[in-house]
This record gives sequence, C-alpha cells and structure tokens, in this order.
Amino acid sequence: MKSNDIPTLSRRSFLKTSAGVLAASGLAWPGNVQAGEPGRLATLIDLSLCDGCTDREVPACVSACKTINRDTIPPVADPIPVPWPRKTVEDWSRKREVSDRLTPYNYLYVHRAEVEQDGEPKILFVPRRCMHCDNPACATICPFSANHKHENGAVVIDQDLCFGGAKCKTVCPWEIPQRQSGVGIYLHVMPDYMGNGVMYKCDLCNDRLVRGEQPACIDACPKKAMLIGLRREITALAEERARQMNGHIYGKDENGGTSTLYVSPVPFERINRTMKKEPGRPGMKPGVERQMAATDAVGKAVLASPLLGIAAGAAGAFKWLAGRKSRLTEGGKKDG
Amino acid sequence: MDDKILREKGRVVRHSIVELLEHWAIALSGLALVLSGMFEMPMANRYYISSVPGLAWSADFIVSLKVHYAASIVFVAAALFHAVYHGLRGDRGMIPRKGDIRTSIEVVKSFFGKGKEPPFHKYLPEQRLAYVGMVVIIAMLIVSGLVKTWKNIYAPDMSYTVVLWATWVHNIGFVLFVLAFLAHMAAIVLKPNRPMLRGILTGAVSLDYAGHRHPLWIAEIEGAQAAKGEPPAPPTEVASVPGEAEAPPDDAAGETEALPIETRESPSPAGNDAAAQKS
Repeated sequence: MKSNDIPTLSRRSFLKTSAGVLAASGLAWPGNVQAGEPGRLATLIDLSLCDGCTDREVPACVSACKTINRDTIPPVADPIPVPWPRKTVEDWSRKREVSDRLTPYNYLYVHRAEVEQDGEPKILFVPRRCMHCDNPACATICPFSANHKHENGAVVIDQDLCFGGAKCKTVCPWEIPQRQSGVGIYLHVMPDYMGNGVMYKCDLCNDRLVRGEQPACIDACPKKAMLIGLRREITALAEERARQMNGHIYGKDENGGTSTLYVSPVPFERINRTMKKEPGRPGMKPGVERQMAATDAVGKAVLASPLLGIAAGAAGAFKWLAGRKSRLTEGGKKDG
Repeated sequence: MDDKILREKGRVVRHSIVELLEHWAIALSGLALVLSGMFEMPMANRYYISSVPGLAWSADFIVSLKVHYAASIVFVAAALFHAVYHGLRGDRGMIPRKGDIRTSIEVVKSFFGKGKEPPFHKYLPEQRLAYVGMVVIIAMLIVSGLVKTWKNIYAPDMSYTVVLWATWVHNIGFVLFVLAFLAHMAAIVLKPNRPMLRGILTGAVSLDYAGHRHPLWIAEIEGAQAAKGEPPAPPTEVASVPGEAEAPPDDAAGETEALPIETRESPSPAGNDAAAQKS
C-alpha cells in the first residue's frame, strides 16, 4: 500500500488539537473530563507501515525515546538498599543500553513477529509501550497517586512521588511499568521496610505534549507509522485504515479501551502467538478485560451509601419524633 | 433520651439497640477497612502475608478493593445514619461542653492516682472530645474515599490536584483512625472505665457503677422520668455524693460510703427535662 493512499493527520491539525486540550485543561471537575470524550488525544500505530528500521542498529523510535529520556532517572544509590524481608532488588543502571524489551531505561521496543498472511510468510514489526488506557488501574489504585491519567490521555508516573511498590505493574494487563531500585523518595523514608525504587514507563512525552510538540517516537518515525491526534479523529482514521487493508484494530476495547490503536493486516491473535510474554516483553492478547470492572458495581453502591444512611437516619428520627408526639398527646389527654 | 434505670435488675440502660448497631457497624466495618486498606498497599507479597495459608487473597488488589468497597458501604451508611438520626433527635450528649479540656486533664491525672475524678454526666469529658476527633477523622476518610471511588469508576482523569488531596487526606486519615482506635482500646483497658464495656456490649451498665461515677446522668434520667409523671424510684440504690466519687469498679461499690439517692443535690424536674432532651 502506498503511503499516499493512507488517510493522514497533518502536523498542523495535531498542533491545533494540542492547543485546544491545553485551553480546556483549566477545567478539571469530574463529569466533563471523562476519558474518551472529545479533547482526549490518542495515538495510532500502523503495523502495515512499520518496517522495524531494519537498516539501523536500533529502531528510530526507540533511539529517540532513549535519547530524550537519557537523564530521566537520577543517579542510583550505591549500594542499593536491600529491602526486607523479600530481598528483591531490580537494578538496570548497568544495562541501560538494552533496547529489545521494556526496562526502567527503555520505554519502547519493537517486537519482530513472523506470521503468515494468506498462506505466505510475513514479518511484522510491533512497537510496544504503555497503551495509556482510558481507565488505567495502574493509576487509579496507586496508593500514593504517583501515577495519574491526565486530561490529554497520557498516563504519567511522577517519579518524585513513586515508592516503587510495583502495584501498577501487577494490575497492568501487560505489566508495562518497570522498576529501578535505589532511586526515589523511599530512600528518604524507610528504605528497608517500605518502597523499593521508582516505576518507569512511557509517559507519551507529556512534557512535549504540553508544549504542543509530538512525542519523540512519533516525530522520529521515518515511515510515519505512528500518529497522534484528537481521539475521535485517530479512532476514525484507524477504522478507515483497517477497513482499507481489511485488517484489525488492537487497543480500542482492550482493558476497557486505550489511547493507543494498533492497525494490522494480520489478526492480533496471530501476532500474540509470536510473543513470548517474558518480563518486559508483554503479549498482545485480543479482548483483554479490565480487571477493575469487577469492582465497579460495588463501587457504585459505595457512592450511593451516603444517601442510604441519610434516608435511614431521617426515617428513624421521624418515626421516633412521631412516637414521642403521640406519647405527649396521650399524656396531655390523661392529664386533662 | 431513651436511657432508663432498671432498679430491679440493678442496671441502667445506656445505649439503645439502634446505638449499639451504629457502634458495631462502624467498628467492624472500620476494622475491615483498615485491613483491606493495608492490603491496598503492596505489602502482602513483600511481607509474605499472602504466603500464609488462607491469606493468598491478600496480595490480590482487586479482591481487597472489593472488600474495601463492601465494608465502606456499611461504614459510610452507618456514619451518615448516625449524623442524621441523632441530629434530628437533638441528641447532644457527646457534644463537648465548656471546660471539657480542663476536666479531661483532671480525669486523666486521676487515672494515675493524682486527685479525684469529678462526677460525670453520661459521657466522660474526654469521651466527648474523642467523639469530635473521631467525627473529624471519619469525615476525612469518607469524603476522600468517595472522591477516590468516583475517580476509579467515572473519572480517572479528574484534576490531579483533587486526586492528590483526596489520596493524602485518605492516607493521613487512615493513620489517625488507627491511632484513635488504639487509644479507644487503651481507654477501655483502664480499670475505672471497664464497667462501660458492658454498656457497649449489652446496652446497659451496672446501676452501682453509674450511681457512683455518673451521678449527673442518673439525676438527668430521674428528672426525665419525674417529668413524665413516672413514680420516683425507691431509695434502695446507692450513690456517692457528687465530687466525692472514686470511680470504684462494680464489685467495689459496697465499700464506698453510701448515701440514699434522694440526698443528692438534684436540679428541678423542669431543668432535668431540658437536660434530658439534650443528652
């Protein structure tokens, strides 16, 4: 497919979008800022275009991400405190160059998938990073709210607040966040007994988004295989491209919906089968369910519980008051 | 006021069934919330709690969130029931009164053998102060918890400032709640307070205890009963003179110098009625 045939989103359109999101960011009250509503950003990763930059040592997107995040992690404590009682230490500071999996120093890698399409062998390249989910459990149940979904859709870990307990990794269906021990606020509290570093992952280059710039990986892609724009436009674009290539979309419904839409000419089930699901190398199982959905019903009951208490309290008190009034009336009659 | 002297049984009704249900609903759901809230921290796996047979679920954040939510339905509903029910009834027995701070210090001193306790109303002055503290802590937990729940379900991308406030109010509220709970347990361990344990378990305390330690309360009940036209109680029970109570335990009542209840200085029935309405 020639790139000319592909519906695109211009840089000008993206910049207009960013400005709009920035203008809207002053309004923050819940209800009008639900993820998935107009104003959110989304990204598109077109697997029919990504060639994995096989002519380079490291794919351009990965290289750009590494460059821009070279100094993200502060110097690591030496020696790194060994936590008690489970003595897990995760130190990637001496393996910063690793680029073929997710690490605290590498937020994007490209998976090579050897698949079959129409009986013919085919190689696809799948850039993998945080999906920036619409309702990300990693952020909503972070005990210190060090991880948050911002109004533009980016899910960002604040490394100054994170204790590195890795809860976000446990609840992420793709186990995306990666821990670096020996850095972060926990060193100043009780490093032996609480916390174990800081969790790192792609933040969609949120700082750049705020400045109206595109994420570094998208800027760097020589094939324009990745795009960012208004969510509804990206969604429409992904659907259009999938229709044109008789292909498939990943990320629209997975984990309750995400801000990352992959478009592929090959079913994702087949791509998923080529993935080993090792630490730092997530799978791509279609239809991954949002675990937190199982708690929504009882959570809604929590939101209703104040009304239940107020209604029961009022009913009880009025019953008591009515009883007292009738007793007083009876007493008055007797006295009379 | 529903408090009542049951002379034939030697008891005073201190808490209605509704109040007992409120207390235990808050207490038990509160403990479930503390436990499930702690398991919302990534500690069960690190500290091998989830390796203990039967506690494997403690490392599952979704399970502990479900437990946390379920317990908070009881906790929040009971707390708001309490506020509305007693607010509308005009119950004011636990609202601090003037001089409670000063008197509380005297009472605490008396626990350590310095000086004597003053005569009490239904509640000790430090109980009234502790009540306000607990109200503030529970309000912090409920408001911030509701914001966090709303965020989890409907608005993961709500203002980060609001989320951080809710999170830290909730976390600090948790620490204060645990400290308040420990203080509550410590208070009931103190010997002079122990007879009140029976009150929160059965709804009634011994008349001997109440007569000696809470004479102002007994006077209020008697005043209220007199105002209703109920016959005065026979002077068979004992009570110490206000100001000279030594807060004896139940079994020590007989050792105290006893005076007929009528000899106590007691406000007029009209005054008692007003007091009763406010307790």
